[in-house]
Formats: sequence, C-alpha cells, structure tokens
Amino acid sequence: MSLINTTNLSFDYIKRDEDGNVEGIIRAVDDVNIEVKAGEFIAILGSNGSGKSTLAKHLNALLFPTEGSVWVDGKNTSDTSSVWDIRKSAGMIFQNPDNQIIGQVVEEDVGFGPENMGIPTEEIWQRVEESLKSVGMWEYRKSSPNRLSGGQKQRVSIAGVIAMHPKCIVMDEPTAMLDPNGRYEVIRAARALNEVENVTIILITHYMEEVIYADRVIVMDKGKVVMQGTPREVFSNINKLKELRLDVPQVTILAHELKKRGLMLPEGILTAEELSVALQKLAGLRE
Amino acid sequence: MSLIFNHVSYEYDSNSSVKSYALKDINLTIEDGGFYGLIGHTGSGKSTLVQHMNGLLHPTSGEVYYDGADIADKDYDLRALRSKVGLVFQYPEHQLFEATVFEDVCFGPKNMGLSKNEAELRAFTALEQVGMPHDLFYSSPFDLSGGQKRRAAIAGVLAMKPKILVLDEPTAGLDPKGRDDILDQISRLHEEENMSIVLVSHSMEDVANYVDRILVMNRGELVYNDVPKAVFAHIHELEGMGLAAPQVTYIMNKLRDDGFNVGLGATTIDEACDNIMKALGR
Repeated sequence: MSLINTTNLSFDYIKRDEDGNVEGIIRAVDDVNIEVKAGEFIAILGSNGSGKSTLAKHLNALLFPTEGSVWVDGKNTSDTSSVWDIRKSAGMIFQNPDNQIIGQVVEEDVGFGPENMGIPTEEIWQRVEESLKSVGMWEYRKSSPNRLSGGQKQRVSIAGVIAMHPKCIVMDEPTAMLDPNGRYEVIRAARALNEVENVTIILITHYMEEVIYADRVIVMDKGKVVMQGTPREVFSNINKLKELRLDVPQVTILAHELKKRGLMLPEGILTAEELSVALQKLAGLRE
Repeated sequence: MSLIFNHVSYEYDSNSSVKSYALKDINLTIEDGGFYGLIGHTGSGKSTLVQHMNGLLHPTSGEVYYDGADIADKDYDLRALRSKVGLVFQYPEHQLFEATVFEDVCFGPKNMGLSKNEAELRAFTALEQVGMPHDLFYSSPFDLSGGQKRRAAIAGVLAMKPKILVLDEPTAGLDPKGRDDILDQISRLHEEENMSIVLVSHSMEDVANYVDRILVMNRGELVYNDVPKAVFAHIHELEGMGLAAPQVTYIMNKLRDDGFNVGLGATTIDEACDNIMKALGR
C-alpha cells in the first residue's frame, strides 16, 4: 500500500523585491513522481541545492506544491483541512537537535507532542515510555536535555515524534552535526524503528554509509529525481554519482580502486563482509 | 610564531564548590606550518580549546603564549592576535551580513584599521584563495549556494592574513563534492601560504586524508597528540571515547580476521589498496 505519493510535483521559490514585484523564480522541485510504501526505508541523496529538503517539507505539509499534488496516507496535502492529520502521519526531524527540544526535562519534551494532540494523560505517559525505550533513552527520562550529547538530543527529538504515533518519519540530515558515535546511535535508532515498529523512514543524508541498509535510494539533482534503485544499484554508478557531487561508501571506493588495479571484483560492494567474501573467492580461499 | 599551551585548565563555575573542568592541564604546541586535526566527542572540550587559541577565553590556570607573549597579559593586544589566529566558527555563513560578498570580506581588514585600498586588495586575494568565481564577488551572500557561502565566510577570515587558521567543522552539512573542495582549498592554503591549520572535524576519513597530526580531546583532556597512523592504532580507546577510526581501518581489520595477511596500518583508500594487493601477492 502506498503511504506517500507525489504526482508531477513541482515547487517554485519566488523572489520578490521590496515592492512585492516578482524578481525571479527558482524551480526547486521539478516534476517529481515518487511513491513510498508503508514500512519502507527510503534514503534521499543529492547535492546542496538539489531540492531534497524542499521535497521533504512537502511530505508533512510544511510546503505546498506549485504544481502537481502530494498524497500522504490517503490525504491531499493541499487540502487545508487535513494539514494536522498529515503532520500526525508524517513526523519530521531536522539537522540541529537544539532547535527541536523545548522541554526542561526529557520526558516532558517527549510528552509535548501527544499532549498537544489532546491525548489523555495516562496514555501520554505510556507513549513517552514506549518512545523513549524505542530510541534507548528511557534511562535519561529525568535528565535535562542540555546535559545530553548531540546524538542523545537527536534521539530525544525522534522519541518526541514517535510519541505522536506517526506512520512515517522524514529525517532531514539528522546526523550532520553529530560525532561518529552520535551518528551511529541515530541511524541505529532509525533502523530499529523501521524493522521492529515498521515505521516508514525517509532519510536525507550526505553520509553515503548511512544509506546502505535502505530499501531504496532516490537521487535528486536540480529538483529532479535522476536515479532510483537499491543501494547496490545506485552505488554501482560511481562515476555518475561523482558527477552529481555525491560519493559512494568507502568500501565501495576501495573495491572500485582494486578493480582498477586489475582485481576481478563485482561493482557495488557495500560492506566489508562483501569485500572479504569477494577477495576470498579471488584468492581461491572460497568457492 | 608558534602557539603554546602551558598547563592550561579552564573551569566552569569556579565559584561553586563542585569543580567542573572544560579543559584540564593541556600542554600543546601549534607549530608553524603544521596541519592539525582536532577530534573529540560532543562536549569533549574541543570548542573551549579553540576559543583559547585567540583569547576568546582565558585559562583559569596556566598560560597560552603566542610568539613568546602571554595572551592573557593585561596590555596584550588581543585585536592583533585575532587577526593572526583566525577562527572560522561552525556554520560561519550564518554570520554573513553585508550586501555583497566583497563588502562582507572587506569587513575584517577594515576593522583592523587598514586603508580602503588595502582592505579591498586583501578581500580580492582572499576570495581568489577560496576559489570564489569572479562573477559572484558582487552578489548578495544570500544568493550563494551552501558551499559558496561557506567559502565567502572563510575568505572573510583569510582577508586578515592569519598565520594560524582554525576551522570548526568547516564541512558540516556540505555535499561530498563541496566537502572535498573546501578541504582541498584549505590544504592548498597550508602548502602555498605555509599557514598553520587546525581542523576540528567529526569525520575520521577527512582527518586521515588531510592532516599531519591529530589532537584527540576527551573529557577536557588532550589524550593523544600524534601522527594519524599512531592515533588510529588506538582504535578501541577511540571507540570508548565516542570516536572511531576511518572506515578503511575497520575494513582492513575485517580482512585480517578473515585470514588475509594485510597490514593494519592503513588509514586511507590508497594505503588500503596497496596493502590488499600486497597480501594477495600481486
């Protein structure tokens, strides 16, 4: 079943001068058709300015199409009466955790969303507990968010979204400001939500290693979807990705370089395990 | 002209009964023409350390010397120091404010009291150094792409002709090409202008590929100060500090575990390739 659907979605940023006359129009998203099924883990890659974030903001009705339409969980985002339902279905996580946390205490922050939705108090506490546990932050429930590391703060933000029981979470570069451990924690939490709770995840990132577990990768350039496929399919096109200002995971580059030096390795190796197996075959250590 | 930290500690709330240290007994020399990577988890004291480098913070004990003078001295000229030790903050593009890129870059040198001509000459050179296309010199900073804004902001610091350039995560949020471009430019400044560079980074790969020495901060202490290979050999200790080794290091460890006789010291793709070819006898 498709959870999100965009049909010929285009969006223009309109620049106006001081008198309100149109000075210029920039087409940030250009005729995009994507479909996301419930339970999928989707990664979106693209250079700065490729339209990824603009697209993401359409998925929970922060922006509305200039042309075309966006459907989330059976509702058209342009229909103003469904905006709140859509934001409940599709939660959003941004780059800077400091901008997303408002509570003085972790559990209070996480409870803010459901409280705002008018959920009965008892159920709020239940939801807070579930969500904090699902991101591994339950033991910090009484802490002040200021005392947490970047990765922990970001996981609290994610718990805050989960507490609203969304069907889908859109994460716009959630790890860009984090240290290696924080990045690992956030990605692990996202994968667990997807695999265990079956929450649909749409992850925007500049870290190629974070997308190898995605079901599907969508690559954007100049507002258009230019590539789409499994991580292996997409990362097999190393030269094309470089042209798009992108990259491939380190192990994929390593395999690619080894191939250039004459080793017969398959394209699109994504993990150290795969590289090891391929090398073992080559060395006659394995059939 | 080196920058020396001598037993530098910095305490928060020095009045309260519980002492909490942001920096603890740091001894460090930033040598002329060195290229340093500064790594550490969030809250490890990296930013506090960096703010001591140009006197934005002063030690609660110990001294910081630049060119032989204690920068906390009452009559020390901090303004002059800040043009010698240029600090590029995280997301520096948020600090762009003039109507054009060129005017923005002129701001620093003008503020140093240089003539209009000299300031403009420096702005021009700085913008060229960061590879800003000429046709964008007079655009509004807000019309530039993310990577270009970042360059404009770095140029603003370069225009003061610093001897030491300190950059706090200059590639955060940039796409891979933008990241490589900025790091290549910084590397060129290091080579061509013999500028000392301190690069604060969360990317172990970037640090492994570019710097000569790595400084590792953990809980306010400087735990390692060594060449990348030596630092990344402490892979388990680094993980314990919320850090990591470059991914190729993990790949090589995996190959070793699976029976390949590969050398483990590789921290870059090229070295890893060499080691694998060697292990396969090719």
